[in-house]
Amino acid sequence: MTALVIGTYQLAWRAVRETIRQPGVEVGNLFIPLFFFFVTVGAISNIAAPALGIENYEAFQLPVAVTQGVAGAAAISGVAIVKDIESGYFDKLLLTPMPRLAIVLGRLIADGIRCMAFTSIIVAALSFFTAGMAAGPLGYVVVIALARLFGVAYSGIGVTIGLRTGNAQAAQAGFLIFFPLLFLSPAFAPKEFFDPWMEFLASVNPVTYLLEGMRTLALDGWEWDNLAGAFASVFGLGAVTATLALWALRTRTA
Amino acid sequence: MTAVRDAAIGAEGLVRDFPAVRAVDGIDLAVERGQVFGFLGANGSGKTTTIRMLTTLLRPTAGRAYVDGLDVQREPSEVRRRIGVALQEAGLDDLQTGRELLALQGRLHGVRRGEIDARVDELLAIVDLEDAADRRIGTYSGGMQRRLDLASALVHRPAIVFLDEPTTGLDPISRDAVWRYVEQLNRDDGVTFFLTTQYLEEADRLADEVAIIDAGRIVAQGSPADLKATIGADVVTIHVDAGADGTAVARAVLRIEELDGLEEVRTLDEAIVVYIADGSRAIARLVTVVQDAGLDVREVTLAQPTLDDVFLRATGRHLEVDAEVPTTGAGEEESR
Repeated sequence: MTALVIGTYQLAWRAVRETIRQPGVEVGNLFIPLFFFFVTVGAISNIAAPALGIENYEAFQLPVAVTQGVAGAAAISGVAIVKDIESGYFDKLLLTPMPRLAIVLGRLIADGIRCMAFTSIIVAALSFFTAGMAAGPLGYVVVIALARLFGVAYSGIGVTIGLRTGNAQAAQAGFLIFFPLLFLSPAFAPKEFFDPWMEFLASVNPVTYLLEGMRTLALDGWEWDNLAGAFASVFGLGAVTATLALWALRTRTA
Repeated sequence: MTAVRDAAIGAEGLVRDFPAVRAVDGIDLAVERGQVFGFLGANGSGKTTTIRMLTTLLRPTAGRAYVDGLDVQREPSEVRRRIGVALQEAGLDDLQTGRELLALQGRLHGVRRGEIDARVDELLAIVDLEDAADRRIGTYSGGMQRRLDLASALVHRPAIVFLDEPTTGLDPISRDAVWRYVEQLNRDDGVTFFLTTQYLEEADRLADEVAIIDAGRIVAQGSPADLKATIGADVVTIHVDAGADGTAVARAVLRIEELDGLEEVRTLDEAIVVYIADGSRAIARLVTVVQDAGLDVREVTLAQPTLDDVFLRATGRHLEVDAEVPTTGAGEEESR
């Protein structure tokens, strides 16, 4: 147990240090969500109130920007693992007596830290445009916590692909999975406006519940049902992706 | 030979299959404690596959492997605690500094936090990387990376160290440095080394015992001196013109086989290799015989038997090294 804790801590810190030492890699993960936020708000906010009944479309879009940034940041782990495999460093880690679980946990925890930092920057930058948070300052804390958990859960996809394929392009493609998830969610309009087939797909999409939970905090305050749905969805997604990542690790090291 | 389970490193009938190819085909080994064991073979002969099985990175298809008395398959974690490994590709992380990498490896190997700084400093001094310790590894030359990789294999003071082609691609200065570290650790600390190599000189200089592997099988094993003694004669190599008449070559071989003191004669593409007693006296007769057979002699060399001759006798061909050692080392120690 001690070896698992030490290994996880050491590898998580190594992964965080990677981020600090190559900040250029992360620029896109900040730029893309902010760009889409302003473009979307610029295009739709004027008709959002009459057409969708949303007075504060900026706050409505805040969770989308946060989620987008987190997904981009979390996709880097898969690529980093492939890089370790290609350089031989992965073998060096496998040759230590620490439990191999630490290799995956270290990455996931580092992603949680990185996603928390990203979310904080995005939320701080956009707070000037969103007229505050209905749930108050604690609402920001919960948004960041949800984003962190989603980051950990989502990075499991890239880690799984990286471990299974050992291919950087394939691991990078883990980020692309996010777009169908985003567009099959109420990212731009409440799902009450969706066609039935689209509403069904949104209802089985974990990103839907994450967005609705964050929106509750931004627009309405503390609505526990929505928050519970958000936490349940990220924990559910996390359980699936962590299981897949551990299976991929076991397969690679068998 | 030490019993397999009591040996520092042992193997019984070790086999590894990959799709459509058997990479290792029934290897038996028993490496004594404190020994430097050289595993000599060409690229693709099964050296790396063997080392990956012995170090827990690869499951054998059949057979058993033991390290320090532990079954590699049943107690892999405990085996990893006791071994140090530097694989063929120096698996390093370009974004870390040399000091950070050693400290991380130490912590992952269970070296206590209070001891790690002193151990890292000690290792950096041993491999002459003190000045570069706080630079990122991405700026290191190939030789520096190899030395750092060796240091990382030693950070937890393992009693058994596996080195997979530790000097392939290194310049002569860096190669000599690695050899000195291995000799020093073996002499002073009694570390057992299992090193794979495709360099005859490396096996000859470092190894107490050498096993020659070819097509996944050990085809000769013993101390370098004993192996060379099996040749039992001098080696005369007669180089003839390219495209020499095959009939003339066969005629020459038949005549050579009639000479006194002959141990063996082999033909290669452009040479006839003759193992014969008192080679210096035999040269004149050999040249005459070859010329009388209708061949033009380009060059004749006389040598004491080498491991290459042992390799040739065991495998039927010379050991061809794909990655030649650079002959100039100037600049290698400069950072990239």
